[in-house]
Amino acid sequence: MEADELLVLVAGGDQKAFEMLYGLVSGPVFGLVRRVVRDPAQSEEVAQEVLLELWRSAARFDPGRGSALSWVLTLAHRRAVDRVRSARAAGEREQREAHRAHHTAFDQVTEEVEAGLEREWVRRCLERLTDLQRQSVTLAYYDGYTYREVAERLSLPLGTVKTRMRDGLTRLRECLGGVA
Amino acid sequence: MSLLDKMLRRDDPHSLAAPYALDALERAERTRFEKHLRNCPVCAAEVRALSEDAVRLAWSTAAPPPPAMRDRVLAAVRTTAQEPARAREPEARARTTQLPPHVWGTQPPPSRSGGPSHAFGSGGAPRARRPLFVPFATATAAAALVVASLFAVQANQTQDQLNAERAQAREIAHVLAAPDARASTGKDADGRSIGVIASAAEGQAVITLRGYDDVPSGRVNQLWLMRPGAQPRSLGLFEGDTPLVATGLDKAATSLAVTVEPDGGSPQPTSQPVVQLALKSVGFGE
Repeated sequence: MEADELLVLVAGGDQKAFEMLYGLVSGPVFGLVRRVVRDPAQSEEVAQEVLLELWRSAARFDPGRGSALSWVLTLAHRRAVDRVRSARAAGEREQREAHRAHHTAFDQVTEEVEAGLEREWVRRCLERLTDLQRQSVTLAYYDGYTYREVAERLSLPLGTVKTRMRDGLTRLRECLGGVA
Repeated sequence: MSLLDKMLRRDDPHSLAAPYALDALERAERTRFEKHLRNCPVCAAEVRALSEDAVRLAWSTAAPPPPAMRDRVLAAVRTTAQEPARAREPEARARTTQLPPHVWGTQPPPSRSGGPSHAFGSGGAPRARRPLFVPFATATAAAALVVASLFAVQANQTQDQLNAERAQAREIAHVLAAPDARASTGKDADGRSIGVIASAAEGQAVITLRGYDDVPSGRVNQLWLMRPGAQPRSLGLFEGDTPLVATGLDKAATSLAVTVEPDGGSPQPTSQPVVQLALKSVGFGE
């Protein structure tokens, strides 16, 4: 059974369906959260919160309006970004590490060893973006920076960053959209 | 003023669609933008499309969670009450800030096209009718399907399985890296599906099967390559949800077929296919 159908069952209180759903989405959720949050203990905590929220809020998923995996990952990303920002605000994160993240955001995508099926595909498509498009998109999505922070880091006007983000995402769509 | 003009105006809320889709707005700005979204169907549709693009970036990050996490989450689930289903009402949606609203949006995306029930991808040219904003569910179903299969497999496995899978993942990555790699998927009325990512130039493909695992004991799903004027060629046996990697594929091949065969497989199919998938859309059949 697919995540979409399982989520509907989960909304009805089906714990068995939730176990199956866990099998399908826990890897993507944990991996995405860890990519953004970095700290293993905090990543686990956030991933757990997200998965529990799936159980609590499953009724809000509407299968007619998009795929379950997309819904779940959007939720996970939002949570991960919120966490990494509060951690930064609280000064938990070393400046040095942030600096490193700036320079290795893209490299890490290419370097991570576990070969996810889509990794190569996404990497290939990211490579086709211009440097500024790629940096704008990955600093925001993988590192959790706001577009204002991205603008500062790349020394670009705010308007330019917004445009690069849009163009980057659109190009990504064109590249990955060939999967239809 | 045209939509494009509006979008180019820097202070226009439209320009925040991409940063919003990437979760790159500050909290207060995010709240303001979400308020704007509720009264702007155009923005909502655009944000949904961009968010679907953003989610694709998540595909490359999947990693098996610590095994203990499963027990903790399942234990928590047993003692946690669920929100009632009516939380989907627009009023309730407006009040809660827990979940990003664009995911279900303020209006439904273009409807999904319902495919034929058993033979997939054989006719028509649905790409020509592609809407401006392609819903994630249709545009990327094939890839999402393949990914979901792989993740399901990763959930509980031994070191040996892991090694075997890494080797397989390398083969899969090789197929994906081919410049002409393309994907296709088919789903039947019962939600069962077959997916393929293939490179005609390399003669390689990765095939996933979902929902067909309720074969009788002593039976197995066997994958065949169908070619005009030739016997079906066995591409291997499916084990659960694990994808099959097929190599040395004949460019003239027209479709894939799955039959239920006795354990160990058969030299030639002994029964009608349970599912077939045309290979034309992934560059075969010349």
